[in-house]
Amino acid sequence: MNIFSFYKDGKALYCLFFIWLCFSFSSLYATNSISRSISFAQQFQVQGTISDGSNPLPGVTIAIKSKGNSATISDYSGQYTLSASPSDTLIVSFIGFKTILVSVQNRKTIDISLEYDTTTLKEVKVNAGYYSIKESERTGSIARITAKDIENQPVTNVLATMQGRMAGVSITQTTGVPGGGFDIKIRGQNSIRSDGNNPLYIIDGVPYASDPIGYNQTSSTFPSVTSPLNSINPDTIESIEILKDADATSIYGSRGANGVVLITTKKGKGGKTVVSVKATTGAGTVTKFMKLMGTQQYLAMRKQAFVNDGLTQYNPWDYDINGTWDQNRETDWQKEFLGGTSQITDLQATLSGGSDKTQFLLSSSYHTESTVFPGQYMYKKGGTQLSMSHRSEDNRFKLTFSAGYNIQDNDQPAYDLTSSSRYLAPNAPALYDTSGNLNWENGTWQNPLRFREAKFRSKTNDLVTSAVLSYEILDNLVLKSNFGFTDLRHEETRTSPSTIYNPAYQLTSAYSGIYLNNTDRQSWIVEPQVSWEKEMTFGKVNILAGGTFQSQTTARLYQFGSGFTSNDLIYDLASAATVRVLYSDDALYKYQAFFGRINYNLQDRYIINLTGRRDGSSRFGPGNQFANFGAVGAAWIFTKERFLKEISWLSFGKLRGSYGTTGNDQIGDYQFLDTYISSGFNYDSNVGLQPSRLYNPDFGWETNKKIEAALEVGILQDKIFLTAAWYQNRSSNQLVGIPLAGTTGFQSMQANLDAVVQNTGFEFTVRTQNFNTQNFKWTTSLNLTFARNKLISFPGLSASPYNEKYRIGEPLNIELNYKYTGIDSQTGIYLFEDINKDGAISFPEDKQSVVDFNPQYFGGLQNQLSYKRWKLDFLFQFAKQENRSYYNGFAGQMSNQPARAADSWIKSGDNAAQQIYTSGYNEDAVTADYLYNQSTGSITDASFIRLKNIALSYDLPLGTKSTQCQLILQGQNLLTFTKYKDGDPEFIASGYLPPLKIITAGIQLTF
Amino acid sequence: MKTISFKIISIHQLLLFQAITIVCLSSCDSFVEVDLPKSQLTTVSVFDNYSTANAALSDIYSKMRDQGLLSGTASGVSNQLGSYADELTCFASPGDPTLPFYTNTLLPANSTITDYWNISYNQIYAANAVMEGVERSNELTAIEKGQLKGEALFIRSLVHFYLTNLYGDIPYITSTNHKINNAAEKIKVKEVYAKVIVDLESAIALLAPDYKNAERIRPNQFTAKALLARVYLYNESWPEAANAASAVLNAVNLYAIEDNPSIVFIKGSKETLWQFQPSASGKNTDEAGIFIFFSSPPPLVAISNNLITSFETDDLRKTNWTASISDGTTTWYHPYKYKEFDYTASSVEYSVIFRLAEQYLIRAEARAHQGDLIGAKEDLNVIRKRAGLADTEAVSGQEIINAVLRERRWELFTEYGHRFFDLKRSGEINSVLSVSKAGWNSTDVLFPLPQNELSINPNLRPQNSGY
Repeated sequence: MNIFSFYKDGKALYCLFFIWLCFSFSSLYATNSISRSISFAQQFQVQGTISDGSNPLPGVTIAIKSKGNSATISDYSGQYTLSASPSDTLIVSFIGFKTILVSVQNRKTIDISLEYDTTTLKEVKVNAGYYSIKESERTGSIARITAKDIENQPVTNVLATMQGRMAGVSITQTTGVPGGGFDIKIRGQNSIRSDGNNPLYIIDGVPYASDPIGYNQTSSTFPSVTSPLNSINPDTIESIEILKDADATSIYGSRGANGVVLITTKKGKGGKTVVSVKATTGAGTVTKFMKLMGTQQYLAMRKQAFVNDGLTQYNPWDYDINGTWDQNRETDWQKEFLGGTSQITDLQATLSGGSDKTQFLLSSSYHTESTVFPGQYMYKKGGTQLSMSHRSEDNRFKLTFSAGYNIQDNDQPAYDLTSSSRYLAPNAPALYDTSGNLNWENGTWQNPLRFREAKFRSKTNDLVTSAVLSYEILDNLVLKSNFGFTDLRHEETRTSPSTIYNPAYQLTSAYSGIYLNNTDRQSWIVEPQVSWEKEMTFGKVNILAGGTFQSQTTARLYQFGSGFTSNDLIYDLASAATVRVLYSDDALYKYQAFFGRINYNLQDRYIINLTGRRDGSSRFGPGNQFANFGAVGAAWIFTKERFLKEISWLSFGKLRGSYGTTGNDQIGDYQFLDTYISSGFNYDSNVGLQPSRLYNPDFGWETNKKIEAALEVGILQDKIFLTAAWYQNRSSNQLVGIPLAGTTGFQSMQANLDAVVQNTGFEFTVRTQNFNTQNFKWTTSLNLTFARNKLISFPGLSASPYNEKYRIGEPLNIELNYKYTGIDSQTGIYLFEDINKDGAISFPEDKQSVVDFNPQYFGGLQNQLSYKRWKLDFLFQFAKQENRSYYNGFAGQMSNQPARAADSWIKSGDNAAQQIYTSGYNEDAVTADYLYNQSTGSITDASFIRLKNIALSYDLPLGTKSTQCQLILQGQNLLTFTKYKDGDPEFIASGYLPPLKIITAGIQLTF
Repeated sequence: MKTISFKIISIHQLLLFQAITIVCLSSCDSFVEVDLPKSQLTTVSVFDNYSTANAALSDIYSKMRDQGLLSGTASGVSNQLGSYADELTCFASPGDPTLPFYTNTLLPANSTITDYWNISYNQIYAANAVMEGVERSNELTAIEKGQLKGEALFIRSLVHFYLTNLYGDIPYITSTNHKINNAAEKIKVKEVYAKVIVDLESAIALLAPDYKNAERIRPNQFTAKALLARVYLYNESWPEAANAASAVLNAVNLYAIEDNPSIVFIKGSKETLWQFQPSASGKNTDEAGIFIFFSSPPPLVAISNNLITSFETDDLRKTNWTASISDGTTTWYHPYKYKEFDYTASSVEYSVIFRLAEQYLIRAEARAHQGDLIGAKEDLNVIRKRAGLADTEAVSGQEIINAVLRERRWELFTEYGHRFFDLKRSGEINSVLSVSKAGWNSTDVLFPLPQNELSINPNLRPQNSGY
């Protein structure tokens, strides 16, 4: 509707466009006409070279103060020419450098050396979404990384680029398989719903839905189904801003509760047309294996288990010890299945340039990555990014357009081999027989490589386009509109060919099957806005008002085909004897909002920022669709006060605080409807209809109240810059799929829960500039977060389904455990505290020891050094946390165990860490082992310090200023220090491939 | 020129701004209203129409066929209880869900145990939803309502009956109200039986004696009576059990014992009371897929030595309903009641849930308990005759009862857990299984209640003993 009205008034735009076109032509002759019209002011040509002290700087803007129309930019060799008069002052500015003013004073040649703007990061404009604000004047909490940090990392996922670099942002990689996902929590878990804690992602002003696009029957390789976030190409990103507190997020209203991730893509710079080409190649391997038993230890354990069980004969199916399998074989299955090397190649090319009015950037990239699993599997990703910016001659009209198109093509085994590599008996048979076929060893084992032909394949095509048009209708009154369109097409399959079965079963391709998932998502957004800015005697006022109209359609089609005449036709659904549609749906999500901001800045000293939003969402039933959110933020730059101006070492000081509300509507669409849906199953000539859900029409918004107080201090010309922030977020009216007893027929139902969850924390960042000389520069940044998550209230918890999951006063991410007390030296069985003294270990009474799986603190330490042509950048990431040790089932059965389990109880009086082995017949031992894995005994320190990233680069001295050649060496996860014994300490669900250790080398040419 | 054009623009722009504002405000409420998605029907409209109401009901059958207790897949009770008792020997690799059943080491968090529970109550919910939807409907005819409600009652009683035999005291769920069901209280097994009987009697009153169509894929009145006979038998209500079985056995126009054992399980068998239609045309039973094997050692399960050696010589069931594979030294037997392993042009075999032979054995046992020894032997001999065996030599009441139980073992092996339930109700379970099963404990007669259920619903506590 509103699109229509925009077009209706499109004439105005055409008119505008035409007029500016006229002006832009006239500018070609501008030099002449201007010099003629003001020739009496003794105009003459000024020229010179602009450099950074050693190298020339192209693209620097040189303007004359108070003469809006006379500006030029330096050419590729840093040279510029400009008409000026003796009394003029030149303003020389360039991103990343300090802006300087130079008086002309009759000089005809003025060479200018610009200083790197490292100390005045606080002058950088920070993107806050609907507006941008100078770092020093911001009232909200915004963390930021830029292309400089992103480019140093050989990663493909946007979340990976932020790991360890931002205070308050905890990111965990869930699998090392390419195309897999990451878990992100900004300032902790707010929602009891585990899938309701995603931040809002915005790319160049366009919301990017992060809701999963996978399907559990097809995304079987990953611990969680495919996320669309892999489509975002880190190479195209100029900066990522994370909005954390109420002041920054309230303007995003219902979607701001979990923070907002703003992604700004690279834009072209005016000046010489620059081509940059980068080629990288590298390799990845698993960071750390688990220490498992070897054949000797393993067989000794197995034999002892039978002795312990009082059995004298092995069962016919105990192939590992009854003589069927070679007792002397030994295979390191982890090395066999996960010991490969992932080959990584990456190519990027960028073309950018333009004039000072119109700039463009075109970049393309192509990335391939194989896996560490045996077999030919490949992840491919390619993309193109185009951006174009234009402003009119009078700077009143501005247009920015950007479009990114990315394609991913992933081909992986359908199942992660990590858990197989850990439980297989070390003397299990060879994978292949002598003729190179899969070895089934006469049907005595399930060869894990039977799944090598069972594949997970996915193709994702993703388009994100945005346009921002703005026009300054009156002085300081700007009318602006964002337009966005996204189109994501995702296709995913998992095959189950008959070759996964032992050929002896004689299963033909009639038993082959394929699951297909087609998920398409389109969205559009229009956000008309008006902003007004005025500098008055009593201060500076900024007012913004706008609206959002967004519509998103998600079409999902899940199908299953089975019974093929040949396995070669398995991807052809038409060749399937049976095709079943498992799910077919078009979900429409509509969202509408009005928002506003008033910012008042008095003498650059006292700043107050008011934001608000009224939101409506189609995800709620009639009567519950709308809600209001708002925040107030304030800052006091106390170093500008007269009484502090005398203190020379204190260069900057600011106190800021904010309070406000945000919401959360991540609950899926149509949850309030009472409906039936097709089950896809046929019976008695009917396609069945099943109830869609347990229905509840009454649920409403989840609200989140945030408070923050922070202090920012710059010492010694900001050589040391400290930020300390305290926050408290409280979410109430929790919107959850309340877990229900199976007796209700369902496992959960959408409803509001009158529970309050609180996240509090301290965030510290310190940036020090240790050296800043011509040749040697060294800066260090540290971020450190102490966070505490707490369930504040939960009326009726003890009578609720959560009564054995949560405890008041404890975090959400806890587990209740039995309290492990040691091993009974007489029976050799694990013992637990019998809290209720009933003589048995009973659930739930004895399972009450709280274990918190949240990190106590986490952070990162980054150092950036440069010496002449060398640059070194490295980041240590650390976390203090606990996790559960890996569970391979009870020791003694046909399943390998950690090497430490060799120390087991054998006879009365033994003092061992591992309980008595059993082959499965000692029910007390089996039960005790089951309890042990839910006890404090299996909790272990999983803290780590890891060299997350290291990048070394060297600029080749080519002797020419127009061409640059850089050699780059990058590493990811190269070193890990941890006490965790069972593999890599970074995981959420165990038994999946850990993050890889990656090292790459590359060359970048710029000319 | 600049100033003039500027004014025009500002007027245009202001108009645009106004237009946007007006659109914004006027569309405020309607913008976020969305229509029903194309794939969903409101619950009310489902029951305004017989074909959609029927689709809601028949979906429960496809669910029962594919998942949960009565499914013929490896996770159904035919396999799992066969392994849990002494019918099957398991050869599966570590991690296979059948293994803890075979070793009798089920834990409260066992996923099959949890699935049985959740899937069963989901089926019960669906049945209750049909009953409530039918009740509210103004469009369905009385006959349509009767048939839908009758079948839903049958499903509800059948699933509860299995649950109580596996888990002991359980809640009996009769509505879709989640507030009640989420905190449902356990009731005693006897009370569950009483409710099952009430439901079945209502179902019998509502269901027609004829089948809805040529294939016996929807339960009719006699199927409900057959279940009632089994319930009475388990409940040791001998006269009632005999009467209910007689009602089925007297329906000679519909049912007869097939003389040839090899055609008992085909689609058109006259012995079938109720069978599941396969999910696709040409597909045969899941049972054939999991039990039949072609090479040794068996991939999943084989018939236990205990069972295979118990058959009398010349028992046609051993030759017809089992088959063997040998590697030269060892021979393994697999159930071969269902013979069609592959797809066929059109489906040949359907999974049979209720068949006439069981009714003869029910009546034989019930008659023996009531002292009608002649009648009991007559019924028993019908089954023995078809198996190619001579009449029973049992004389006393107890001998006949024991003979019936033995016969049930041979006749009904690997069918929906009959052996396990028979051992339980005869009281022999501990003496028999503690000999043949190394992991057997007397508390294993009941499954553990799912851990998750205990944690959510305190009314289900305490856990069954032994877990």
